[in-house]
Amino acid sequence: MAKTSDDARLELLQGTLDMLILRTLQWGPQHGHGIGQSIRTQSEDLLRVETGSLYPALHRLVKRGWLKAEWGVSRANQRARFYRLTPEGKKQLLREESRWTQLVRAIGRVMKPAAPPETEE
Amino acid sequence: MGILSWFERSRPDADEDDVREEIRSHLAIAIEERMADGADPQTARYAALREFGNVTLTTEAIRGVWTPRWLEAVREYAGDLRYAVRALAKEAAFSTTVVGVLALGIGLNAAVFTMLKGLALAPLAGVARSGELAVISSETSTGRQVRVSYPDYRYLRDHDRAFSGLFGSAVATLGLGRGRSARQIWGELVTGNYFQVLDVHAQIGRTLLPSDEVAPGRHPVIVLSDGLWRRDFEADPDVVGKTVLVNNHVLTVVGVADPTFHGTVVSYDVEVFIPVMTAPRLGFTFGSQQATPSGILADHRAAVFFPQGYLRPGTTLAHAAAQADGLWAALARDRPLTDAAQHLRVVPFWQAPGSGPTYALPAVSVLGAMGLFVLMIACANIAGLVLVRGVSRRGEIAVRLALGAAPTRIVRLLVIENLVLAVAAAVLGLLLARYGIVVLVGYAERLAAPQRIFFNTEIDGLIMGFALLVGCGSALLFGFVPALHSSRVALVSVITDDASPRTASRRRLRSILVVAQVAVSLLLLVGAGLAARSVEAARRSDPGFDASQVTAVALNLRQSGYDRWQGRTFYRDLLEAARAGPDIESATLAAHVPLSLHETRPERIAIERYEPDRDEDLVFMSNIVAPDYFRTLRISLTAGREFEEADDESAAPVAIVNNTLAQRFWGAAADAIGKRLRVGDGDWRTVIGVASDVKYARIDEAPRPYVYLPFLQSYRGSMVLHTRGRGAVDRLVEQARASVAALDADLPILSAKPLADETRGALIFFDLIATMLSVFGAAGMGLAAVGIYGLVSYTVAQSAHEIGIRMVLGASGVSIVREFLARGLRLGAAGAALGLVAALGASRLLGSFLFGVSPTDGTSFFRALAIVVGGVIIAAIVPAWRASRTNPLSALRHQ
Repeated sequence: MAKTSDDARLELLQGTLDMLILRTLQWGPQHGHGIGQSIRTQSEDLLRVETGSLYPALHRLVKRGWLKAEWGVSRANQRARFYRLTPEGKKQLLREESRWTQLVRAIGRVMKPAAPPETEE
Repeated sequence: MGILSWFERSRPDADEDDVREEIRSHLAIAIEERMADGADPQTARYAALREFGNVTLTTEAIRGVWTPRWLEAVREYAGDLRYAVRALAKEAAFSTTVVGVLALGIGLNAAVFTMLKGLALAPLAGVARSGELAVISSETSTGRQVRVSYPDYRYLRDHDRAFSGLFGSAVATLGLGRGRSARQIWGELVTGNYFQVLDVHAQIGRTLLPSDEVAPGRHPVIVLSDGLWRRDFEADPDVVGKTVLVNNHVLTVVGVADPTFHGTVVSYDVEVFIPVMTAPRLGFTFGSQQATPSGILADHRAAVFFPQGYLRPGTTLAHAAAQADGLWAALARDRPLTDAAQHLRVVPFWQAPGSGPTYALPAVSVLGAMGLFVLMIACANIAGLVLVRGVSRRGEIAVRLALGAAPTRIVRLLVIENLVLAVAAAVLGLLLARYGIVVLVGYAERLAAPQRIFFNTEIDGLIMGFALLVGCGSALLFGFVPALHSSRVALVSVITDDASPRTASRRRLRSILVVAQVAVSLLLLVGAGLAARSVEAARRSDPGFDASQVTAVALNLRQSGYDRWQGRTFYRDLLEAARAGPDIESATLAAHVPLSLHETRPERIAIERYEPDRDEDLVFMSNIVAPDYFRTLRISLTAGREFEEADDESAAPVAIVNNTLAQRFWGAAADAIGKRLRVGDGDWRTVIGVASDVKYARIDEAPRPYVYLPFLQSYRGSMVLHTRGRGAVDRLVEQARASVAALDADLPILSAKPLADETRGALIFFDLIATMLSVFGAAGMGLAAVGIYGLVSYTVAQSAHEIGIRMVLGASGVSIVREFLARGLRLGAAGAALGLVAALGASRLLGSFLFGVSPTDGTSFFRALAIVVGGVIIAAIVPAWRASRTNPLSALRHQ
């Protein structure tokens, strides 16, 4: 899939899309388009999810049992497939959040050592 | 998650509609939103679609989520398979040629392998591990294999520990029924454990059991083969308890053997199984001198059978032989053997002395080697074809690589393509082999009629596996590897430049292929030629008697209840009646016909005043003949006279010997007259005549000593009537048949045909082998011719450009033809030289199958050479001539 080479836009880290989807759905069931828009607006337009990635990810999460999909009607009275977090999905979100925090902290330490005690200078 | 729901989810198209609907709804929402922002419907729709990207790819990706990995792999392979089949179908000429060529190679080899299976690997139908059977035989000092007597077998069976079970079986000709409907069938006289050791069961009733081997004459029972049961009893389910008449004795049917089982004698279709305890009753003496009913069962000198069975796990043949020989030594201590010194051997079933496999296997191995040669030529052909085709595919492959196809993917595609060809060729080859075997067996059956023969030549998993293995191996080695070779292309050069390979390496490869094909086909043709000449020689060779205008009518009086005196009278009247017939020159009787293929009536001979060496083996073939025998068969007498009516029981015992025997013991034919010899434990007989040698068993046998006894002094119930006369021999046969019927209308005539038909059996072997060798030679030559033609003409076609330039520059067509002819001949000569060297080496191996022709027979070599060189010349001239006639400008423009 061709990635738009907009410098301002960030590329999603591998494996973070699942987490973002789960997070977005924490606020309630949403359809695919809504999830994409939600991630985009919440990231202040920095993250844009390709539909080519979004939908396979959604289906993958359904297959794993973290999401449940059912047909419903959107606010604009459109028929749409809504995704909802399952209890399993909620647990998974917690796990991913904590892993993410650890990762951010670890990367942060490497990039910006707070108080380097071993510095000999 | 239940299995069903898992399957439901894994089914790729289960939610296909959902996916489509979901994408549609996504787009609808996106358009709605844009329109809400003020865009016009057209722009909104366009933008939404653009934002979404490739709908198909997304659908595929979603579907991929739901597809299990293995299914994906299967799909991918199926896709490759479809692609391969489509690609091959598009090049029908190429595919058909490769499949056809390979099928021919596979077919011939599968046919040989089938024979190998029927002879050695799984020789007995209906017996699970028949290839693993081992056989005990006793060997004399001269290497003659002797059957073991029944009491000795009992001793071995009771004391041996190397075999898990030892059974004995003697094949015998039996007279079935009485009167006109009577006929001769093959039966096995077996020990009680026969069916148990072989693990063969009865489909109706029971098999024979150890309880059928208790006392001589107490077991008048019989087990039928499936074939006999169907033919003679119309598959009667209530056959158990019915009786059949065998050799004029009533036997009760106790069961019908498994339908797949045809006995344990390769090439014989055995129709009945009878307890060996019943054999004396049916008149089988096996050379025993004891006339009591239990004769052979007690006589240590009656040679009855070769005990056989399965070795216990972990026991080797050598170990089994050592054990058996130890037992044998103990036996010999208890009972001095009167025969020459013997020891026991244990051999695999296919080496059982005198069995079909021992005769046929050497020839089949030669056929196997020939088959491999044909396969080699076929493979060289395929390699050539693939090389030529590879050139045209270089463009395609380069484009695929340029479009980003992984090299492994292309390799996989090539492998699959070749496997498709291989499987198609294997299937076709199997059909070919099956048809070939059916034709061959049918031919042998017709020659053997009315005797029934059977070979275990069913196409089974083993043979299919063999064909697939050969097919895939050949296709991968000679199809895939060259394909890979020609696919290794530099992208740029192929796409920018033209696709013709002018590299020296490829031209060299083609040359090597041509040389190899010429060499191997020469080898094949020499082999086929030598075989054809042997058969010709065997057909023309003098068997020592004249079978033309002679009849052979086989009778068995014993079977119809004649005793010795009645029999003697009958035969005397029969000869009288036969001689009185119109156009009859002479008539006689003989126990055996010459060229019988069997060791007929081996007898221990003692020569007066001749002290044999301790180990000397004096067992020779013999025959019982009536007066006029030598005159009727036109066997010349080198000294003395032939048997006369006066040589009857009241006269002094006499014998006639053959030249070889006379020379061996008395120096010259004339010196033999008046000397005395003894047959078995019989009376001393005076030699009254010396007959010239005859081919007694096989056309290619070495001269062997032979003894004739007069019928009037040694009665036998089962004899063959020979008459010689003028006119159509078939009419003579009818006449002989009529004179038998005139004496006893109910007497079964076991067979009645011209003697020439009877002795033709001895040529079957040569005939079959030579026919097959010729087929192999022709197949190899045909393939090689096509292959060489293809390669040479391709070379010429590749040079069209060059030819065009030369013609433009003023070269004449003749000079161009000459040039290509010279190139072709150079390759042909190199191949022929190689082939000649190989043929000289290989034909020595053929030596033992050749008859009357030397392994370096000039005619065969010359013919083969002429055919091969002629083929090369045609293959070179025709395309070159065609090229020289094309318009040079068009050739130039073409490239």
